[in-house]
Amino acid sequence: MGNVFSPFYLFTFILFFVAVLLFFGLAYPHHLHYQEQFQLFLFDSTYVWEIVKRPGGIADLLGRFCTQFFLFAWVGAFIIAVLLSAVQLLSFRMFKVQRSKFNVQWLYGLSFVPSFLLWLFLLDENALLGGVWAVLLTQLAIWGLVRLPDGWARRILVIVAFVILYWIAFGGSHYYRYPNVFPTLLYAAWFSAIIIPLVMWFIVRGRKSENAQQQNNSLTIPGQSSPPRSLSHLIPLTSFILVSVVMGTLVWKNANFKAEKVMQYDFMARHQQWNRILETINDEKPNNQIGVTVQNLALAMHGMLLDRMFDYNQNGIAGLLPDVKEDATSPLPTAEAFYHLGMINVAQRSVFEAQEAILDFQKSGRCYKRLAQTNLINGNYEVARKYLAALQKTLFYKEWANETLPLLGNEKAIAQHPEYGRLRQMAYKEDFYFSDHVTPEMLENLYFSNTNNRLAYQYLLAYYLLTGDREGYNNLISKMQ
Amino acid sequence: MKRYISSYIILQAFAVMLLSSCANHPSVPSDTSASSVLPPIFPDYCDVTVPYNIAPLNFMLPADEYDECVARLTTSDGQQQTYGHGVKVQIPESEWHAMLNASKGKSIKVEVWGQKEGKWLSFSPFEIHIAEEPIDEYLSYRLIEPSYIVYDYMEIAQRNLTTFEETQIFNNKVTCDDSKGQCINCHSYQNYKTDNMLFHVRVTRGGTVIVNDGKISKVDLKRDYTISAGVYPSWHPSAKLIAFSTNQTHQSFHTAHPNKTEVYDLASDLILYDIATDSVSVISNDSTLLEVFPTWSPDGKYLYYCKSVPLPEEMRDKDIRATYSKIQYNLYRRSFDVATHVFGEEELVYDAASVDKSVSLPRISPDGRYLLFALGQYGCFHIWHHDADIVCIPLVAPPSPDTPQPSPLDLTMLNGKDAPDSYPSWSSNGHWIMCASRRDDGNYSRVYFAYFSNGKVKKAFLMPQEDPEMHISLLKSYNRPEFMVEPVRISVNEFSKVFDK
Repeated sequence: MGNVFSPFYLFTFILFFVAVLLFFGLAYPHHLHYQEQFQLFLFDSTYVWEIVKRPGGIADLLGRFCTQFFLFAWVGAFIIAVLLSAVQLLSFRMFKVQRSKFNVQWLYGLSFVPSFLLWLFLLDENALLGGVWAVLLTQLAIWGLVRLPDGWARRILVIVAFVILYWIAFGGSHYYRYPNVFPTLLYAAWFSAIIIPLVMWFIVRGRKSENAQQQNNSLTIPGQSSPPRSLSHLIPLTSFILVSVVMGTLVWKNANFKAEKVMQYDFMARHQQWNRILETINDEKPNNQIGVTVQNLALAMHGMLLDRMFDYNQNGIAGLLPDVKEDATSPLPTAEAFYHLGMINVAQRSVFEAQEAILDFQKSGRCYKRLAQTNLINGNYEVARKYLAALQKTLFYKEWANETLPLLGNEKAIAQHPEYGRLRQMAYKEDFYFSDHVTPEMLENLYFSNTNNRLAYQYLLAYYLLTGDREGYNNLISKMQ
Repeated sequence: MKRYISSYIILQAFAVMLLSSCANHPSVPSDTSASSVLPPIFPDYCDVTVPYNIAPLNFMLPADEYDECVARLTTSDGQQQTYGHGVKVQIPESEWHAMLNASKGKSIKVEVWGQKEGKWLSFSPFEIHIAEEPIDEYLSYRLIEPSYIVYDYMEIAQRNLTTFEETQIFNNKVTCDDSKGQCINCHSYQNYKTDNMLFHVRVTRGGTVIVNDGKISKVDLKRDYTISAGVYPSWHPSAKLIAFSTNQTHQSFHTAHPNKTEVYDLASDLILYDIATDSVSVISNDSTLLEVFPTWSPDGKYLYYCKSVPLPEEMRDKDIRATYSKIQYNLYRRSFDVATHVFGEEELVYDAASVDKSVSLPRISPDGRYLLFALGQYGCFHIWHHDADIVCIPLVAPPSPDTPQPSPLDLTMLNGKDAPDSYPSWSSNGHWIMCASRRDDGNYSRVYFAYFSNGKVKKAFLMPQEDPEMHISLLKSYNRPEFMVEPVRISVNEFSKVFDK
């Protein structure tokens, strides 16, 4: 095998790095946003200890730490590219450790297999980066061990390393958000990261002894000599291309671009990118519930819901304000609509339920932020303070939390705040019960609480138009007159 | 050898530094300006009465107002010690318990200094009164997010009140293998002991886990003739019988009212479960009324429970969500013959509806002289009702229509202001009242204790935590706090095995 820093190896390494970076940065960015929004990494000793005290906790912690950067998709893509490239590099280095003078270059492409398997693993929005760290930490440990001179010290270190590895990387099971799904791809990557170098080692070892024997017999062994210089990169290049094409095709075929699109709508709603939403729906009309919900919200934010809603796909009331389901994903875009409408308690409930439904019981920076806002608007300052105090311990929500804290209890500042002041004015004045299903009465009550609430007006009329309730519509019109 | 010696010395020096930093006995600030107000400490332990075996009452000054805090504690025999690190005062357990033992039946004087913008402020001193009666050593509760319908991780935990040790009794992850999740609730004990106890598991692998003389089993309490499995339990004090309510419970949410959630029953009855025969008999199942929250008298001769008052005729057929704010519960009891399992006639104990109130969660003091309950405007799930308070009435005479309604005791020192107070209970010696309260922020319930003696109640105090900030940072509610005189000794794994059968 050649030097890892030789131009050829460097070229393939960079090629792989760039491919991963571009994939997650361009084709899969909203999967990264999705990942980030379902965790809340706290710079807090109790939080850290609760994670690292569990078997596999170090890998889990490193994964969570990196995932917080997924708020910025390109940074997330860069982190993933670095990690997957590191796995490849270590696989390759472990081949090198054999210090073989024998030609096993046809195996070069296999050094990419663990990284490609991890890439496949990460296509699932519920696969966690801690799994990648677990593979990487295992590789690092093995790489370090095989470099040690043989002897008792190494044997003892191997035993100790296995115990430590169990604790820091592979003792746990927090590699998926799913509670009871075995991460087959992750374990395949882990095994390939270990097994391939081991296979290499056995091949090299076998050839060494064979060579020694043959040297004793003074025989020339065909195939033992290095290939001609002109062909020195052809064999590894072929194996690299073969593995890259096969595995790359697998990655592309298994990527869930449909989910990516849905996540994009949720992302745009979360960040109130109303213009971008309109551009997106004009390019391709959404045909899924979340897309339609966000599309309608964006139209309403531009005051165009009633005029243009039927230019796009609709899904009855389920595309306007769908029922709150017991999952972490679908309530969030609807909660955005509730929030902007001024249905603060309904929004709060939807967000709270979504957070409670996160499969691996983590908390969410996005949800904490919104819960702080709804409690602030409702005047529940001590509850808002709790969420803000937690957000102050984060890297990327800290600034917002610091800016929001002075608002607590400051009625004048809240009243003058462009968002909170407006939403307070739009909120319900009359109390009644609600549950999972939004009724026209809820929208009607909201609108008549403050007839300046143009969003409520549009949603109310859209409700009747979408349900075909002519009588309700006429009643409303006569009430308005 | 030299290297070993120097390493040893360094290690020792490090250990001494570590120990000295743990002790945290700061000097009393010298240059201070006096303030005539009590220190704004959290939790508020100013002039509270505590049991002599309670864990250290650690507290803190508001971190956004003060930079440092120093407290000096002085026992009645003149011993003094100072504490403080940052804005927190955290007292080592051994030193605290030595002070409590020296002050039993007396008081500890607490002086507090707070530093703000480089200047020290000296607050008015206060006292912590040490009662001669201990509190039950253990407490169990469910730790749960104050959620709406969906829930994630929850656990039933037990806390040693003399220390800060908290261990898990059960959690909803260990046996849950379905994405629908699992709810665990309603832990309950016979006579404050843990050899006979139960809790429910709902949804995935559901059932009631019953520990009978230390043996664990899981039973299904739903029968063809009951509207649900057993819900709110009460162990008979001497027999292996458990009274349950059966409930068809629903939830709705308020659009504007601060009472975030409304929990209501569409139907509820009372049943009696006989552990020995695994049989369920109906105590009360009036389909037009709602019976709930059974509780036995300490002698086991009466079963107390809440029952709704009939709605006016014109409201009966309406959606319960429209009429729920009119539903009120009174408190009743029925005599019970433990030999025949026969219940007597119903007697009205407390007519809450006559004062336009609604009663729930009755608990009778161990000496049988007092009755605690939660009282709110309507309904029975008062932990979400901001007007709900704990009420205590004497049980001096047998209730009868001719007997005037007993006057409630003054519990203003126990109840929070404009915040839900609910789930009251008595310690086994009857000297400590415990309740769950959302008084700190209106959303996350916490456990409060108050000293009770001869009908008088002292100022309530928040269950102490090793880090006083935990009450602020913990985003879980303490649900259904129950006293125990001993810990649950069955491990989570042992409990989980009952689900394999």
